[in-house]
Amino acid sequence: MITAERKPLEEIVESVASFDRILLVGCNECVTVCAAGGRKEVGLLASALNMTFLKGGKSVQITEHTLERQCDPEYVEELSQLVGGADAILSMACGAGVQELARRYKDKPVLPALNTMFMGASERAGVWSERCAGCGNCVLGITGGICPIARCSKRIMNGPCGGSTNGKCEISDDVDCAWHLIWERLKALGQTDLYEVNMDAKDWRPAGGAGPRTIVREDLAE
Amino acid sequence: MSFLKRLTAKEFVVLAEMHTPKGVDISRLVNDGRRLKGRVDAVLVPDMDNGIMRLSALAGGVLLQQQGLEAIIAVYCRDKNRMALQGDLLAAHVLGVQNLIVVPSADMAQSDHRDAKPVFDLDEAGLLNAIATLQEGKDLGSADLDGRPFFNTGCALASLADGAPFDEALEAVKAQLAAGATFVITPPVFDVQACAGPLKKLGELGVPIIAAVFLIKSVAVARYLARNDAGAHVSDALIQRIKKAADRESEAVKIAAEIVQALGSVTQGVLLQTHGWEHRLPAILDMAGL
Repeated sequence: MITAERKPLEEIVESVASFDRILLVGCNECVTVCAAGGRKEVGLLASALNMTFLKGGKSVQITEHTLERQCDPEYVEELSQLVGGADAILSMACGAGVQELARRYKDKPVLPALNTMFMGASERAGVWSERCAGCGNCVLGITGGICPIARCSKRIMNGPCGGSTNGKCEISDDVDCAWHLIWERLKALGQTDLYEVNMDAKDWRPAGGAGPRTIVREDLAE
Repeated sequence: MSFLKRLTAKEFVVLAEMHTPKGVDISRLVNDGRRLKGRVDAVLVPDMDNGIMRLSALAGGVLLQQQGLEAIIAVYCRDKNRMALQGDLLAAHVLGVQNLIVVPSADMAQSDHRDAKPVFDLDEAGLLNAIATLQEGKDLGSADLDGRPFFNTGCALASLADGAPFDEALEAVKAQLAAGATFVITPPVFDVQACAGPLKKLGELGVPIIAAVFLIKSVAVARYLARNDAGAHVSDALIQRIKKAADRESEAVKIAAEIVQALGSVTQGVLLQTHGWEHRLPAILDMAGL
């Protein structure tokens, strides 16, 4: 999933302070799963904003709405009846959702309430960690299902770097050495020969090195 | 008189662009450089210009300074993060290269190493800020430097094309001047009259404006510029003039020299760009009476 964290309340308040009618829009997908921008978080932020503005002697009309998917034009269309009654839209989706709202509702300022973080997975309740860097050329088949780009601090393709101790990265004891994990996993799988594969210098074009990326599926494109 | 002193004294400056080799054979660079000694105020050494991997501008600048020329080296953001940029700036100072020009980078997608990872840790304004910070004796991590460098730093105008491209480029230049740049180099001027409006607005900035003069090496190049660069103002008449010339190479030199002369009263300097024909630089200078 795409993970996100809510911005500090003060920053959100400052960004919407000049508006009287705010449409606060959540998303029912990734940001709901990582408890950053779903229906529940929309309600909590609306309450916090109302309280803050009331304390400051200002009455603000906040309309809450949570879309099934904020990055999908089909669902974003749902807002067309609500947008007219708002001075600005405050989005609790990832950056893709914020930009989809801005693309569809061109005459309304769209402000982000979240900081989009990474593509990751849930480790345990309340903890998410980075798993995928979206590099466009997956090597997980060679690296025992552990990504050296997303999970190695130096993003090295032929590790380890030599800086790890007892399986932990030199940057912090809280960070696993990805190449240690790769080695242990390949051993368990009986695939240590894959560890010997020398990967070439990475082609960063599919990772965005050649500019913003687009996928075109000719069989589906209209 | 040094390049900086001439700029400060509002003297007309003549610069020549000299590319480093793609390899380690420096004989051409050194020989072409020697021929310019005493004829130009400084040589500008691009760095990985157009995304072509070459010997670094710092090495090229030092080599040319060893030949008795003053060098200006290009610095840019695509290939180095803020640590590498700062380290190389300190290196430039101690190696005697104190003139810099902050330039935009060609996209990696258009380079000859298309699979490389673009860095862009800083943008041009950020790089100018880094240069200013180093000159104050600090690095971007706020640590004190052991000895502070000095630089004379310029910036590059992105476009002379009338309307939005020039307006946007002018705003960017203003921001870069505010961030510490002290002179501006324009894209190539082929028609001084057609560029009069933008050049006048640049003149109002109150800093030295140096116009690039590009040697049109062939009809194909002229046509390419006419088709793809609205700011170039390469006219049909100019294309026909090159096409009909008995000796096109000499005609190209003559055209460049005429533009240099026409710019004499409009800008505070010229940058001669010959892109591989650096051996023709003395001929342009001769014909322009410089």
